[in-house]
Amino acid sequence: MTPFSKTRDGVLVVGFSTVESDIIADLAAQIAGMLAPLASTSDADPLYDLVGIGGSASIDPDPAIARLLPDAYGDDSEAAGDFRALTERSLASRKVANARAVIATLERGRGTVELSAAEAQSWLRTLSDIRLTIAARLGIQSDGDEGATDSDAAVALHDLYDWLAFVTESLLDALED
Amino acid sequence: MAKTLESTELHEQTVLDTPWVTLVWNDPVNLMSYVSYVFRSYFGFSREEADRRMLQVHNDGRAVVATGSREEMERHVEAMHDFGLWATLQKADA
Repeated sequence: MTPFSKTRDGVLVVGFSTVESDIIADLAAQIAGMLAPLASTSDADPLYDLVGIGGSASIDPDPAIARLLPDAYGDDSEAAGDFRALTERSLASRKVANARAVIATLERGRGTVELSAAEAQSWLRTLSDIRLTIAARLGIQSDGDEGATDSDAAVALHDLYDWLAFVTESLLDALED
Repeated sequence: MAKTLESTELHEQTVLDTPWVTLVWNDPVNLMSYVSYVFRSYFGFSREEADRRMLQVHNDGRAVVATGSREEMERHVEAMHDFGLWATLQKADA
């Protein structure tokens, strides 16, 4: 990876190897795939459908999805449910759209990826969503938790998790340049 | 058109309502630099103020990042969820 830099006209430029690019695209596709059922508009009132209103009755049992689409009211489960029923679908849709935007920029770039300011925002959000999902899978729940390290797959996931933090830091540095 | 008197009553009602707060909670995943960036770019905090609240989240487990009407706080919480930050709203005195 060649770290992010910002050109004079505000474009963010980064270089990825094919392997790196494929990994990020694959992870983003997994986020989009995981959240797509929650972003779909099949069962809704047609009017709600039109404006993207809708959502589940309660928080998802999958810890990764629960972390990406958390309760908005921590101390009032009824209000949390009501709010989720109105907003979860649009939140999930925005996350899917961000993940797909990341994939599109990678496909467009083929090695050297150039991001507009808006695309950089999709990247920041999707990188966070990917790391939150990996952390949920590794069982990282509080500061200092190492999470699972008991298999080669878990160790590889840890490396990926740390590398994605580096990618995020690099993008933040360039954005603030 | 609405009469001035009605507007005044509505305004007083709003002011007398218990304010709501947006809380951001600590998580072990999001980077400190990212949380500070979100506070600056979304809420318009200075770097100093954003870092102060980010450290409050980190050290105390949570920080109030906004105070206002319930509807405003709902918008902020949704925006924080967009960023992947763990945020909730509640009444200020809760």
